[in-house]
Amino acid sequence: MKTALELIGIHKSFDGFAALTDAHLRASWGEVHALLGENGAGKSSLMNIAAGLYAPEAGTLRVDDNAVRFGGPRDAARARIGMVHQHFRLVQPFTVAQNILLTAPAAEGFESHRRRLRRIDAAIRDKAQELGFDIDPAQRVDRLSVAEQQRVEILKVLLAGARILILDEPTAVLTDSEAARLLSTVHALARRGAAVVLVTHKMADVKRHADRVTVMRGGRTVATVDPKQMPVAELVRLTVGESITAPAAGSARATPGPVRLAVRGLRSPERRGRRVLDGIDLELRGGEIYGLAGVGGNGQGELAQAIMGMTGDAEGEIALEGHGDLLRTPAPARRTLGLAAIPADRYGLALAGGLSVAENYGIGQVHSGRYGPAWRLKRRAMEAGARAAVAAFGVQGVRSVAQKAALLSGGNAQKLVLAREFGKSPRLVLAHSPSRGLDVRAGVDVHARLRAARDAGAAVLLISEDLDEVLALADRVGVMVRGRIVAEFAQPADRQAIGRAMVAHG
Amino acid sequence: MSTPAMASGSAVAAHPAPSVRAEPAEAGAGTSTGPGRTGEPKAARQPWARRRYALEIRQHMAWHRQAFILAAAIGVGLLISAVILVAAGVPAGELADEFIVQTFLDGQNLRAVLFQAAPMILVGLAGAMAFRARFWNLGLEGQMIWGAIGATAVSFFEIGPPSLRLPLMFAAALAGGLLWVLGPALLKLRLGVNEIISTLMLNYMAANFLLHLVYGSWKDPKDNFPYSPQFRAFERLPDLVAGVNSAILLAGLVALAAWWAVGLSRAGLYLRFVDANARMAQAAGVPVARIVYGAVLCSGAMAGLAGFAVAAGQEGRLTQAFYQGYGFSGILIAFLARNNPLAACLVALLVAALFVTGRSLQVFYQVPFSMVQLIQAVIVVCVASSDFFIRHRLRRVGGT
Repeated sequence: MKTALELIGIHKSFDGFAALTDAHLRASWGEVHALLGENGAGKSSLMNIAAGLYAPEAGTLRVDDNAVRFGGPRDAARARIGMVHQHFRLVQPFTVAQNILLTAPAAEGFESHRRRLRRIDAAIRDKAQELGFDIDPAQRVDRLSVAEQQRVEILKVLLAGARILILDEPTAVLTDSEAARLLSTVHALARRGAAVVLVTHKMADVKRHADRVTVMRGGRTVATVDPKQMPVAELVRLTVGESITAPAAGSARATPGPVRLAVRGLRSPERRGRRVLDGIDLELRGGEIYGLAGVGGNGQGELAQAIMGMTGDAEGEIALEGHGDLLRTPAPARRTLGLAAIPADRYGLALAGGLSVAENYGIGQVHSGRYGPAWRLKRRAMEAGARAAVAAFGVQGVRSVAQKAALLSGGNAQKLVLAREFGKSPRLVLAHSPSRGLDVRAGVDVHARLRAARDAGAAVLLISEDLDEVLALADRVGVMVRGRIVAEFAQPADRQAIGRAMVAHG
Repeated sequence: MSTPAMASGSAVAAHPAPSVRAEPAEAGAGTSTGPGRTGEPKAARQPWARRRYALEIRQHMAWHRQAFILAAAIGVGLLISAVILVAAGVPAGELADEFIVQTFLDGQNLRAVLFQAAPMILVGLAGAMAFRARFWNLGLEGQMIWGAIGATAVSFFEIGPPSLRLPLMFAAALAGGLLWVLGPALLKLRLGVNEIISTLMLNYMAANFLLHLVYGSWKDPKDNFPYSPQFRAFERLPDLVAGVNSAILLAGLVALAAWWAVGLSRAGLYLRFVDANARMAQAAGVPVARIVYGAVLCSGAMAGLAGFAVAAGQEGRLTQAFYQGYGFSGILIAFLARNNPLAACLVALLVAALFVTGRSLQVFYQVPFSMVQLIQAVIVVCVASSDFFIRHRLRRVGGT
């Protein structure tokens, strides 16, 4: 097969930190080429170079066997390279057509805005039909689900003329069925002659859908192989560099204690004829993990925020053992009552990226007077505490605790959150998609911490869209659909039955 | 004042670093001139104009390098100002003499600088405090007016015994400024009313109320000018040694208190989180509303004290236009000092020195006073531009 995109000997560093050292990739026309690696292996950096967002310090880019140099994403688009980023680049209040108009090539000569919009509209409908997408070009992007927004992104790069399609972690935000659909679309595109680079850390995606796979580790390319020819264990070894010990299955569980958290009739105000939270009832005991499964966007985020105290307009009751109703208790007071929270939105709700690692760690305990009285903050003690926690929780990539938290990769940022939240033993743990976007090793770490908290007697509420995660951790499983808990299962739960409950009430 | 991009705290990979090139796309695109797979550093042999540069977003810079860049920016600003002044007819040889020797080494002028600096330090601190809480307090002048009105009321109605009169005036000024900003703070936190508009508009209300007082019931009966009766001797801020007014001491103490609050206390750490990411701060257990109220009310109180410093330290009475220009100066000082209380003192001294020097330039060389404002503006532009070098780095691509 002819080579579509080739990256040779790429070097790139950020602020003195080498993200890529001698990275290679060669993708051919007509294939789905997976790029596999842990968090921080340099996959996204390499693809950002291919898409013209970063300039490499050394190395060559070749498209169709011609060396190219990109001064920006426009040059890459001219070379027919298009990238769908993990965090979508869409203007939320604009319609689908307006978003696509932004990047679509202009017609020769003069064309009125109106006529252009109409032309784009028609092109979207054609392309959407061809790919089997159900997209209304006049719909506003913020009304679309995550999966639909992703389809808009794909349409956007295709209509901008891309023949080399780069998808950065496309399945991370999708449910199983949505992911399967996306990957079959991607396959169809490759069969029609396009080249697709699929950035992922999910072994299953690679095994099932990739024609070839390039494995990266620590900023280098370690191998390019045919995934069909290689056992999973060998792929894992290539990715991780060493074998990870599997978590001890069925760890000794403490017997559940009294009801620690009781949520009764929790509702959010009605908007546009529906309530995001529509009467949540659940009971959570000390020493157990309650896993809340469900397709994303069914009110999980709102439930998490209501428990954290970030919404002021929920009605009902959130009762904490020994305290009573929490609903009107402000967030800081909930913290002192023993709530630990691992929100899904890491840089929105869990960390202040512009502040240092030490400050982000210390903010969790500074209320208690651990780092000095209110009139005298002991920064040195805080930094020492942060250093100890960084070591204890294995947060990598911390050159100094004075560095900004934004410099940490996804997995390490999450470990820093864990270090802070589990720094004192919590009574109630709220974990929302705690291993989303993390690699295998970091995910295993996160799960071990949650189990340890449970074994220490904490009540753990795990909200996750990843059914595997829920089944691996939870003692009881609830299913959330449209702002309600529609079913509960005791472990061992039937995966099929849970899956049916997740979609039956939708 | 951090840019939104930094405050949002995105990871490295989320910043699309724009790249700039010193050459067109075609030139040097082949492997023969570009650094090839062998990785041999060929860039060293390239002519200067053909090297490629990449502009990167810098995540972190040591504070002493930031300070150096800041100092360099001020230096460049002063240099440009010097050129302007020379062009305006000030002999080049005498510039250094005017600025440094005459301003800082002459006792008379140094006193004038300190005299001028006291209220400027206070409004600068007031600006810095509010901006740290992301509250854009543009009502510094209004709060200053109410501070002065509060102090004058104590004098006018002869409240308290003479020995307590000055502390009472101090407290009244503090309360006046604080109360004038309380409204906008409540409106913002309770109802989401934009504080830029509310604080700015309240300046006009305060200014007109001031005119009402000095033209009306508080007008000095001795002569018919629009100002209040002269304060008694014990109602004025006393002079310290060598005729230096104690207002500068007051400003210094307030600056120390502000430095402690933002740098050493627990609330200072909270304030940093509120500044960086208020929602995250709330989720992590920071009492966000209390911190914002605290910082904003401190800001108002400091502006009120600036009014007190002018009324009891400089004018000795309530006048009709004493506040003019301080609102802008406060914002300027806070900005140049990056909301740092100690830096605000230095910047305020510099601005005050510019004022004093400007006046003497006006007298001796017939340079218009607007030239002083021009110099201020040049320095501000230079410092604002220096931000670029703190947030970015320019590096050669393809070389070492």
